[in-house]
Amino acid sequence: MSTELTVLALATLWQMVQFVLYALPANRELGPGYTMSARDREPARPMSDRTARLGRAFDNHTEWLLLFAIAVGVTELSGQGTPFTAACAWAYLIARVAYVPAYAFGLTPWRSLIWSVGFLATLLMLLAALI
Amino acid sequence: MTELTLLAAYGILVLITLLLQVLGSMRTLSMGYLMSARDEPREVGLMTARIKRALDNSITAMALFAPAVLLLEVQDKTDNASLLACQVFLVARIIYLPVYALGVPAIRTLAWLAGFAATAILYLLAL
Repeated sequence: MSTELTVLALATLWQMVQFVLYALPANRELGPGYTMSARDREPARPMSDRTARLGRAFDNHTEWLLLFAIAVGVTELSGQGTPFTAACAWAYLIARVAYVPAYAFGLTPWRSLIWSVGFLATLLMLLAALI
Repeated sequence: MTELTLLAAYGILVLITLLLQVLGSMRTLSMGYLMSARDEPREVGLMTARIKRALDNSITAMALFAPAVLLLEVQDKTDNASLLACQVFLVARIIYLPVYALGVPAIRTLAWLAGFAATAILYLLAL
């Protein structure tokens, strides 16, 4: 398996870890009675800032994983993998792992800078496939 | 030009939409807020809110479009019809963005429908 595909599998596993990191405190704070209901109303007590941040970090990675999967899929199927695209893939994964603690602990401006690394890595992979 | 080229181009269109949304947010919200953890939500301007909704819609469309293209490629089922459907999808989604941002009503819905129909055709071709 190529580096890009390996990193895509790892990034998807990381998304599942992110889900657990969010779901565990969310269930503890809101109570399973609320989380297992149809959630028609807002919870009686909102979740903590840190848990809400983990939720936003999870949502953000859902979007990015989709863009990254397209970049990897296009690179693989067109046979355009190079050491450069492999480096972009690793940069993406490292940035997305670092993004979660940076968000949870509210590290300014690191969260934004780390986000830009993931943005650039994905953009460069897509451009490399087009050129 | 192949289906894969068009898929990569659509990925870049989504990245551009994202960038426009960030730039639009920078006009109404301070950098200090944007770089913070944004614990309390804040309102953005009318056009930026539209670009945000267009972005959400484009991401949903991407989650449906990308698997169809990859399915066709992996099965080597690409032909003139699938290429045309991908071209229609990309053009429709390029029109969708400015039309949404400027608030043009009927054309936005038509562009969305064209993208939706093109995606549905891709799945029919892949099966």
